[in-house]
Amino acid sequence: MQALRDLPIRQKLVLIVGLATGGALLLASAGLVVSDLVRFRGEMVRDLTSLAEVIARNSTAALSFDDEAAAGETLSSLEASPPIDAAALYDEHGKRFASYVRKGKHAEFPGRPGPDGHLFAQGHLLLFRPVSLGGQRIGMVYLESNLEPMYDRLRVQAFTVFLVFCVSGAFAVLLSTRLQRLISRPILHLAAAAKAVSERRDYSIRAGKTSADELGLLVDAFNDMLGQIEARDLELQRAKEELEGRVAERTSELRQELGERRRAEQELAERNEELRQSNKELDDFAYIASHDLKEPLRGIHNFSVFLLEDYADKLDDEGRSKLETLTRLSRRMEALIDSLLHFSRVGRVDLAIDRVDLNEIVAEVLDSLDINRRELGVEVRIPRPLPAVRCDRARVGEIFYNLILNAMKYNDKAGKWVEIGWRGDRPPVFYVSDNGVGIPEKHLDSIFRIFKRLHGRDKFGGGTGAGLTIVKKIVERHNGKIWVESTPGDGAAFYFTLEKGA
Amino acid sequence: MAFLGTVRRGPALALAALLVLAAAAPAGLRAQTPEELEYQVKAAFLYNFTKFVEWPAEAFANERSPIVLCVAGEDRLGRSLEALVRGETVGGRSLVVDRAAGNYRACHLLFVGQSERERFSQVLDGVQGGDVLTVGEAPGFLEAGGLINFVMEKGKVRFAIHQAAAERSRLKISSKLMRLAINAREGAG
Repeated sequence: MQALRDLPIRQKLVLIVGLATGGALLLASAGLVVSDLVRFRGEMVRDLTSLAEVIARNSTAALSFDDEAAAGETLSSLEASPPIDAAALYDEHGKRFASYVRKGKHAEFPGRPGPDGHLFAQGHLLLFRPVSLGGQRIGMVYLESNLEPMYDRLRVQAFTVFLVFCVSGAFAVLLSTRLQRLISRPILHLAAAAKAVSERRDYSIRAGKTSADELGLLVDAFNDMLGQIEARDLELQRAKEELEGRVAERTSELRQELGERRRAEQELAERNEELRQSNKELDDFAYIASHDLKEPLRGIHNFSVFLLEDYADKLDDEGRSKLETLTRLSRRMEALIDSLLHFSRVGRVDLAIDRVDLNEIVAEVLDSLDINRRELGVEVRIPRPLPAVRCDRARVGEIFYNLILNAMKYNDKAGKWVEIGWRGDRPPVFYVSDNGVGIPEKHLDSIFRIFKRLHGRDKFGGGTGAGLTIVKKIVERHNGKIWVESTPGDGAAFYFTLEKGA
Repeated sequence: MAFLGTVRRGPALALAALLVLAAAAPAGLRAQTPEELEYQVKAAFLYNFTKFVEWPAEAFANERSPIVLCVAGEDRLGRSLEALVRGETVGGRSLVVDRAAGNYRACHLLFVGQSERERFSQVLDGVQGGDVLTVGEAPGFLEAGGLINFVMEKGKVRFAIHQAAAERSRLKISSKLMRLAINAREGAG
């Protein structure tokens, strides 16, 4: 059955037509043959009956006059009727009176005559007819006919049917072979078109329409579908191209951007390097300059002192006053140069990192600032012990020294205080706050600049103005940060960290 | 006469019965001589002849007139002929047996017994020109002008027919009957 299902549609159609035609033909032929045989049987019975009638009529005299020889002679006239194999005459008592058996045949006669009528039995047609004379039954004729004529007829019929079957079958196959194209051709066209479409991905192919029937509708639907696919395909293609274009565009843009960024980074690195170089040069220059400047400065200072000591009597008051100013300025200049040298050293010298207990450092700083604290009348608060951190002990001491000193100095309140504490963030944030004069907001950014002083030379104890700059430098060398919060008049708070922040 | 009951049913049956009796006459029954049997058969034959012979219409007074069977000479048929024909009809006519007919011309069938062998011609001349089926049982009967003559052949009753005379007469003797005649069978024509 599967093999049949897989047959090409062309052969399937031919096969279907052939089978249907053949089946119908076979049934019709069988019906014809059967009806013919039935009819033929009837004819045989009729013929045999007529024959029996003739025999009966011709046997009346023989029966009447007990002439077996004559009866036998009458029966032997059946020689001329080939299908009759045997015949017999029975007298009125049912006794067999005469009989006939065809040469070469064998017959067993019924012991007594049967009833009037016929019977098909054992491949024979048996028939009994009465022999009547003058309205009286005087005996029975018995005829036994073989069915050869029927078999002959059957053979002829079978042959005819076979012939008709062959010829009409061939005709049907021939016709269906031609007519199947009506159905198979559009389907094959459709299949070929579908195959071409799927193989070549060419949706512009169209199947040819040859009929306006369901197949035509199918072809139309197929073509319609192809049209839709083609349109969608085109759309898709367009969208794809557009997308590709956009991607290419964006890619080149990105590449360009990337190049630009790389260039910028490179430039930045170069600039950085340049900057570092110039910074170093500047540091070196500052050190060398300040170091070399100190020498003549000391000379100027010494000689102005000598002048004041040795030639004080030769100068009037104005002259002495100017010499004193010279001495003071040269001393100040020396302090500035020292600060500069210190700043330069802080920037150049490697840190000595170790684990340090900040409480110790703060205690030492407060010890060294004890005089200032007493003079200024400042209360020092340390709300809770400070932690131990990894840092350069001397430098961090400098940070606390500068910040605490500033906090003590820049305060005009009656009850001054300074608080040293920390917040347990990560990294920990340390602070030094006070209730001093504070810093105006516009100066918050510039207070860390070197030699920046917010107040007059002698106000709040003076100073070179390098302290916060050095503090910032130390914090930065620890990778930390420093910032300040302040409310002018109420105080300020300096915050810093000693390690890289998150 | 046990078989008489069956005789009523038909002459062929009667004949058959006779033949059966003749073939195996039971010892215990009333003894039947071969001669008696022979005449019983002959009586049946006579009756049967009427079925195979057609008389011209002028031979009868009307449509319903009976067929008259006459016996000339010594009657050895006994009553068997009467028993056979009683109540029977042939071609719509009844049959009567007339044993004392003065004029045989009024008969339709005339059986001439052996006793009349000396005066065949006299009897036959008497019916000359009439439509009488003459049946004899002695040699020379046909030569004398008779139509049918009984002959004994191998112990069986057979008959010969004078074909030429039959054709000359106005009687129509059935070809079936003709065929059974021994002279016909022997190629006599």
